[in-house]
Amino acid sequence: MPLLELREITKVFPGVLANDRVSMRLERGEIVALLGENGAGKSTLMNVVYGLLTADGGEVLVDDAPVKIKSPRHAIDLGIGMVHQHFMLVEPLTVTENIVLGREPGRFGIIDFATARERVREISERYGLKVDPDAKIVDLSVGMQQRVEILKALYQGARVLILDEPTAVLTPQEVTELFKVVRSLVDEGLSAVFITHKLEEVVAIADRILVMRDGKVVGETTPSATDEIGLARMMVGRDVVLRIEKGASTCGDTVLAVEDVHVDDDRGLEAVKGITFSVCGGEILAIAGVDGNGQRELVESIVGLRRPKGGRIELKGKDITHANARASIEAGVSHIPEDRHRRGLVLEFDIAENIILGDHRTPPVAKNGIMHPKAITEVARKRIADYDIRTPSERVHAENLSGGNQQKVVVAREIGRNPELLVAAQPTRGLDVGAIEFVHKQIIRERDAGKAVLLVSLELEEVLSLADRILVIYEGRIVKEFAVADADAETLGYFMTGGGGSKIDKGAVPSVPETSATGGDE
Amino acid sequence: MLADIITPDLFASALRMATPLALAAIGGTICERSGVVNIALEGIMLCGAFAGVAVTLAVGNAWVGVLAAIAAGVAIAAIHAFTSINLRSDQVVSGTAINILALGLTGFLMEILYGHPGTTEAVETIKPIFRFASERGGGGFLAEVWHWVNTILFSHTPIVYMAIIIAIAMQWAMYNTRWGLHLRALGEHPRAVDTVGVSVLRGRWVAVLISGALAGLAGANLTLEQVGSFTENMTNGRGFIALAANIFGRWTPVGSYGASLLFGFADALQIKLQIFRGEINIPPQFFLMLPYILTVIVLAGVVGRSVGPAAVGKPYEKG
Ligand SMILES: Nc1ncnc2c1ncn2[C@@H]1O[C@H](COP(=O)(O)OP(=O)(O)O)[C@@H](O)[C@H]1O
Ligand SMILES: [Mg+2]
Repeated sequence: MPLLELREITKVFPGVLANDRVSMRLERGEIVALLGENGAGKSTLMNVVYGLLTADGGEVLVDDAPVKIKSPRHAIDLGIGMVHQHFMLVEPLTVTENIVLGREPGRFGIIDFATARERVREISERYGLKVDPDAKIVDLSVGMQQRVEILKALYQGARVLILDEPTAVLTPQEVTELFKVVRSLVDEGLSAVFITHKLEEVVAIADRILVMRDGKVVGETTPSATDEIGLARMMVGRDVVLRIEKGASTCGDTVLAVEDVHVDDDRGLEAVKGITFSVCGGEILAIAGVDGNGQRELVESIVGLRRPKGGRIELKGKDITHANARASIEAGVSHIPEDRHRRGLVLEFDIAENIILGDHRTPPVAKNGIMHPKAITEVARKRIADYDIRTPSERVHAENLSGGNQQKVVVAREIGRNPELLVAAQPTRGLDVGAIEFVHKQIIRERDAGKAVLLVSLELEEVLSLADRILVIYEGRIVKEFAVADADAETLGYFMTGGGGSKIDKGAVPSVPETSATGGDE
Repeated sequence: MLADIITPDLFASALRMATPLALAAIGGTICERSGVVNIALEGIMLCGAFAGVAVTLAVGNAWVGVLAAIAAGVAIAAIHAFTSINLRSDQVVSGTAINILALGLTGFLMEILYGHPGTTEAVETIKPIFRFASERGGGGFLAEVWHWVNTILFSHTPIVYMAIIIAIAMQWAMYNTRWGLHLRALGEHPRAVDTVGVSVLRGRWVAVLISGALAGLAGANLTLEQVGSFTENMTNGRGFIALAANIFGRWTPVGSYGASLLFGFADALQIKLQIFRGEINIPPQFFLMLPYILTVIVLAGVVGRSVGPAAVGKPYEKG
C-alpha cells in the first residue's frame, strides 16, 4: 500500500503547463528521485503535495485515502514534511525556535522553552543529527541549516520527507553527509522524495527514479537498470553530449594580453600576485583552480569591475588596465559572471530589459540617449529566438525563469553583443545537462568565429572539454600551463592543490608561439 | 543655575514627555516586527488625540474618552492594514496618505462639531494617581530624597504608568509567548511562518491593530492627561520621533521605551532651558530643535547601524 500517491496532477500557471497529468507513488521506506531539467515542474508538483499550491486537476492520496491538501499545515498533519530549495528558516531566531515554530509546546500561549529544547535534543539524538539547539541560524553553515530543516520536518512528525534540490547549496563533503542522513532516516521507516537534476546523485541515492520533462513524467526506472547517459537522454529528450566535440583551434592575433597583474581582494590582501598570459583570437584559454585562488579578482580586473594595483592589461593593443565596466564593454569585452543572480541579471527587470543591459546606450537600442522600446523588443525577441530561451514572452521577469533560462539570457546578451573577448566565469554553475550543453556550444561557436575566450571554471570536466590551452592558478599565481592534449584530470588536480609547489613552471612549452604563461614575481 | 535646571521636575517632565512617544514607538515596534512599516503613527496619534477630547466633551467622562481614542486608533490602523496587507500597496505611501488624511479629517471635524478651527474647549484632565505630600518630616537629607522620589516616580497620571507596564509586558510577550515568536518570525521570513501553517495575514493584521491601539492611547495621553484640549496638528511630528525611537531601541518594546525616555528628556530640557532664555543667550528656536536634531543623529546611525526585520515593508504574496 503506497504511503503517498498522486494521480494525474495538473497545474497550470499563466502561459505554462507546469504539471501535466503527473502520477507517482511512494512506498514506505523508499527513496524516489524526481529527476528533471530546471523548469520541468518538480518543485511545482511537490508544492502541490505540500499544500502551497492548489492543483487544477488530479488527486492526492495519503494511505490510500483521497485528500484535498489545502495548506502546509494540513500537509504537516498528514505527515508530509518538506525541505525547500530556499530554506524556510528565520535567521535571527535559534535552532529550537525555528524547529518548534507553529507547534510550540506550552500552555495558555506561553512557550515552554525547556520542553522545546528537550524535544529538539531528543529528536536530534534519535536520528543522529547533532545541532546546538541554542545556536542562531545565521551562525550556522548551510549544511547545518539544512539539517535544522530536516529536524523541523521530523519534529512536525513527518513520515514523508520531500527534499527539493537539497544538494544545490552543499559542498561535496556535505552532500555525502546528507546522503547518509537520508539513508538512515529511510532505515528508520521514513520515505523520501529526492528532487535533483544531477545525474550522479540520482544513481547514488534513489531506489526508484521518476524522470520529468516539460511538466510530464517521461519515464520511470531504477539505478541498476540505467546509467547516466540513459538518464540524461530521458531527461532532455534527445541524446546529450556530456563531453563536447570540437575542431582544432586556429590562433589569430593576440586579443587579450595580461602582464604582471597584481590585484587585491575585498579585504585588501593581495589575491593575484603577478599573472602574465595572453589569449589569441580563435582560442579558448581556461584557468583551472580551486575556488578562492584569485580567479575572481583576476576576472574582475579584466572586465573592469576591480582596479588592479599593478601590471598592464591590453585588449587588441589598447590599454584597458584602468577601464571601468562601461569602457571595458565599449572596448569589446563581454563577461558572463559567476553569480547570475547578483551580477548577471536584475531579477526584478523583465527579460527584454535584461537582455539589452550594456547595449542600452548604443544604437539600435538607444539613439541620442533615448531608448527605443520597439527596438528593444525587436532585439530581445531576436536574442530569445537565437538562444532558445523558453519563455511565454519577453516581458516575463527574470526572477520567474528557471536557472537554465536565466543563464541563457546572460549568454544571449554577452555573446549577442559580438565581443572581441568573452570572459566566462563558471558559465554552467547550477545548470542541468541540457543547458550545460547549450552554453558549451555557444562558447565554442564564439571561438570558431575567431573570438578570444577566457574560461574560468572550477569544474575540471568543463575545462578539459572546452579548453584549447589550460593555465592552473594556485594562490594567485599561474603554476602550470598545459596544451589540452597533455592534460588530464589527475594531473590538473595535482597542480591545482599546490602539488607542483608555487614555482613557475619554466619547462612547459606554450602551445602558441607568441603567448607565454609565467607567474610569480621572483 | 544648574541646580535650577537639574530638578526633580525635569526628570518627571521627561517621563511625561516620553510617554506618548513610547506608546507609539512600541506600536511601531510591534508593527514592524510583523513586517509592516507604520509611518502612519503620527496620523493615528492625532486621530486618537482628537477622538479622546471630542468624546470626553460629549459624555463628560475622560475614561470613555480614552477608550474612544484607542478605538479611533484601531479604526485608522485598520485602513493601513487593509491597504498594505490585503491590497499589498506600498506601505510608506499608505502611511503617508493616512497622515495627510488624519490632518484633514481632524480639521474638518473641528469645523463640523465646533464651528471653528484651531483649538477645542478644555476638558478636565485625568488626575495623577498618587497624592503623597511632597514635604515630609521636617527637612534634612531623607526629606530631600523623598521629594525627588515622589516627584519623579509618584506624580504621574495613569497612562504614564500604563506605558511602563505595556513596555515590560510586550517585551516579555515577545520573547515568551507563541504570539511573540510568530511576530518575530513574521517580519523576517513570512513564508517560513506560512509553511508551518500560521497565517501571515492574521498575524500582520493583529500587529497593525495593536500598533493603532497604542498610538491612539498615546494621543489620549497627550490631550486627556497633558494638555486638556485638542489643537490641530498637535502631535507635531511625535509619530515620526517614535519611529526613530523604535529604531534606536532596536525594535524591542523596552528599548523603544528607553529611547523614548531619551527623546522625552531632550524635550523636557528644551522646555526648561527656555525658561532661562534671559540668562543663556541662545535663541529659543535652538532648544526647540533639540529633540529633532537628536532624531536625525539617531537615524543617521551614529548609535551604530541597526538592522531592521528582513522582510519589513514587503507585501506578502502566497504561492
Ligand atoms: N509561481 C509561478 N508563476 C508562474 N510560473 C511558474 C511559477 N512557478 C513555477 N512556474 C513555471 O512552472 C514551470 C515549472 O517550474 P518548477 O516546478 O519550479 O520547475 P523545477 O522545480 O522542475 O525546476 C516553469 O516553467 C516555471 O517557470
Ligand atoms: Mg525547482
